[in-house]
Amino acid sequence: MNNLWDFTGAKGSGYAQPAPLVPESELTFATSLLRKDAPRWPRLSEPEMVRHYTNLSRRNFGIDTGFYPLGSCTMKHNPRVNEVIAQMPGICDIHPHQPEHHLQGLLAIFHEMQHMLAVCAGMDAVTLQPVAGAQGEFTAVRCIQEYFRERGEAQRTRIVVPDSAHGTNPASAAMAGFEIVEVPSTEDGRIDLQALEAVLDDTIAAMMITNPNTLGLFETDIAAASELVHGVGGQMYYDGANFNAIIGRTSPGLMGFDAVHYNLHKTFSQPHGGGGPGSGPIGVKAHLAPFLPGPVVDVREAEEGERTVELGRWFHWREPEHSIGKVQQWHGNAGAVLRCWAFYRRYGRDLRTMSEHAVLNANYLRHAIHHEAKEAGVDHLFVDGARTDVAKHEFTLSMQPAKEAVGVTAMDIAKGLLDLGYMAPTVYFPLVVPECLMIEPTETEAKDTLDQFAKDFVAVVGTDPATLHAAPVTTPVRRVDEVYAARNLCLRVPEEDL
Amino acid sequence: MVDQLPNRGREAEMLSAMGYASMDDLFSDVPVDVRMNEDLPLRGPQTEEEIIADARRLLGANVPLGTMASFIGAGLYRNHVPAAVFQLVTRGEFLTAYTPYQAEVSQGMLQAMWEFQGLISELVGLPVANLSVYDGSSAAAESITCAVRVHGRKATQKGVVYISEMVPPDRWSVIHNYTQGGGIELRKLRHLADGTLDPASVAEAAGSCAVYVEQPNPLGLLDGSLTGVKDIVGEHTAFIVGVNPVSLGLYEAPGHYGADIVVGEGQPFGSPMTAGGPIYGIFACSKAYMRQMPGRIVGRTIDEDEQTAYCLTLSTREQHIRRHRATSNLCTNETLIALMGAMHMSLLGPEGVRNLAVRNAAALHAVVQALNGVDGVEFVHPSGHHFNEIAVQLPGPAADCIEALEAHGVLPGFDLGRWSEDRTNQLLVTATDQTRPEEIERLATAMAAWCAEVVA
Repeated sequence: MNNLWDFTGAKGSGYAQPAPLVPESELTFATSLLRKDAPRWPRLSEPEMVRHYTNLSRRNFGIDTGFYPLGSCTMKHNPRVNEVIAQMPGICDIHPHQPEHHLQGLLAIFHEMQHMLAVCAGMDAVTLQPVAGAQGEFTAVRCIQEYFRERGEAQRTRIVVPDSAHGTNPASAAMAGFEIVEVPSTEDGRIDLQALEAVLDDTIAAMMITNPNTLGLFETDIAAASELVHGVGGQMYYDGANFNAIIGRTSPGLMGFDAVHYNLHKTFSQPHGGGGPGSGPIGVKAHLAPFLPGPVVDVREAEEGERTVELGRWFHWREPEHSIGKVQQWHGNAGAVLRCWAFYRRYGRDLRTMSEHAVLNANYLRHAIHHEAKEAGVDHLFVDGARTDVAKHEFTLSMQPAKEAVGVTAMDIAKGLLDLGYMAPTVYFPLVVPECLMIEPTETEAKDTLDQFAKDFVAVVGTDPATLHAAPVTTPVRRVDEVYAARNLCLRVPEEDL
Repeated sequence: MVDQLPNRGREAEMLSAMGYASMDDLFSDVPVDVRMNEDLPLRGPQTEEEIIADARRLLGANVPLGTMASFIGAGLYRNHVPAAVFQLVTRGEFLTAYTPYQAEVSQGMLQAMWEFQGLISELVGLPVANLSVYDGSSAAAESITCAVRVHGRKATQKGVVYISEMVPPDRWSVIHNYTQGGGIELRKLRHLADGTLDPASVAEAAGSCAVYVEQPNPLGLLDGSLTGVKDIVGEHTAFIVGVNPVSLGLYEAPGHYGADIVVGEGQPFGSPMTAGGPIYGIFACSKAYMRQMPGRIVGRTIDEDEQTAYCLTLSTREQHIRRHRATSNLCTNETLIALMGAMHMSLLGPEGVRNLAVRNAAALHAVVQALNGVDGVEFVHPSGHHFNEIAVQLPGPAADCIEALEAHGVLPGFDLGRWSEDRTNQLLVTATDQTRPEEIERLATAMAAWCAEVVA
């Protein structure tokens, strides 16, 4: 289809604007800096622009389009009322540096979210400032770093991550200046306590881990791992990417964690928007609370004359005592926090039911796929990525047997599913499972959808290899050549098309 | 009762299909000693109607800037986002998609981001732009670590970076957090009394890994001397410029006067202020920095049938492949907000963006004229040219002024005492394309009354 630069309307054909408050002829400019050539942007009228982006949207797949079992990404339905609320002037037309008495509603919402997130994770204090999960990781690791510097334990320069961890864990820790110690998992994909113990000493600042882990398994030895790490004076960090599996059933606090980040764009339905915005608040135990980025929201008794939104309560900003400073210049992604507040209100304490249904759906789908495969006689073409009775919110399958038997890879299965109108599962992650497909249905998929997907998945597995190698054929483009993209870098409109 | 769970009422049926009796069976792997046995101590669920009512009440208690004569900016700017942008961006195909891992069904967003990269590239005058970072401050921070990776070896001042002393403390703090782990030393690049860069300080920065300076600077001042910085610092020191992108409709693209990296807060294109987020950061660079840049980038390519297609590329820099050796931990970014920016820019076109910049300049001009006549108000840099905002010296504390003018329905600006103890009597007054003449009149009248009172 056309790209923007195929539109070459007359000068000024786009969006009409009011006249300037003062005619241009009366203005004075910094003449030595005046722009010589205008940016070579395209010219579109509104009708053309609306059609262009509508056509682009039709070449994109979202949760609204179809089932989106992308493991580790928690692609649940995004309730639309959240979007309606996020358009209100009480959020859109707000500057973060307005005085507190202009922001009492927003501060009340922040305070409620800080409280809710702390309760769900078993933590004592929360900041909403980090704007993505990776930034949350980085922020928490920085807090841990300053905590140890404050205590005179600056020799703690190493952080432990399991080999199955998300890539952001080691990347975030390295950005903060830590050395990474990777520990192998056991054969069944869980923490290897012996391997962990072997690397622990007083140079360890923390262990970063997610639970359930990236195989969708609950780390049954988590309390023992916490004890080992705490035993050498280290901190336990919980990667909240998989938090959707456990709310109300257990908590990072109960497992012995000291710090946690939340992915509001996963667990609490901030729409992911094709790659962001996200929101990545962190929660910590009391000993780390003084190090949080500021300001956080606190509450005090209202004084006379203060116009409150909650009887007798005045919300205000507070700078933590030993704050690491800021990771975002303002107060984080307030608009995302607001959407997630609306999502939280939809569930309240029934967030527990939400997690139960996420786990129910994942186990049901896993069961249905195995059942259908047996019926169809293709169950020899894949195996579970990890041996387990129950999974949590997601599960992995290895297509290694299919690769060996008929030359069909995990990527072939993924592309075959695209042809049937599904988003593909996560492929080739975690790295510890060969030919891995990671499947996470979330709680918002109906049983009928899961049943149909199980049938269709098995049908794809049973499809002849030649057809699968050629898939997809029904999508806007066929298999995309990533090698060509890297060898013939074209990162913007070429000169000859301007 | 929660209405978002399609399988409510079918739990028993689904459990028994798996041979389980209860939900507890699915959590049998959670050890007894870490189980939560009580209900969460939280409120009960609400319906959509109740949530809307509460949101209206709470958000209604906030004071939207549109209800006052507002002159607060300091990095975020009131704008008008064209109606079509909101209508299009809430299309579910854009809104509810994840990162475009499966390119074949993500061509829409991939192409839109490739187009965004082209729009930014043209605007700032550099060949490479990524598809957004979190915001202007993390863009600044990541540009510095990127520059150190590129120049670390050849720099004579190893690990040293010079940053304009005008950079506000909150942004400075973000930069500090992002750079302290890499052993990077931040030194201050000094400015002269007239607000422009001190050439002696720029000369000292030669041989360091990078200089970071903003145009216009955080007090809205445009600095003509920036066009000479690259010649002074030389090829082994990155020249990084933080921009207000709207100003580039009128003023020269930093890439055209030697900038190696251009970053900035994209918000004025496409996004309301939204209490400070989500907004989006711009990151663009020359080819020498491309393989060390943070974040995601889209390339144009072909599919199996040799049709034009798009996909993420240069991914070997990123955390999911390089892990702790990645150029950044950045993955989720601000794609949807960048998409709003692209939509806004595509409606403006080359003439529209100039008009928008002229309107901003004209609004500030009108404010300056109005305040010029107010006894007691002086401009901090009277001889300089400004864009979007200007610092004024008051006869008393800016905080008092802000408090006093509220009774007149005026928010006169940002209290610069929050940036520096030396500036408690200074106010940063911002005007944008949304500033109206009657608001400027109200500002001048209320300011005159307050000054008269303070002086008396």
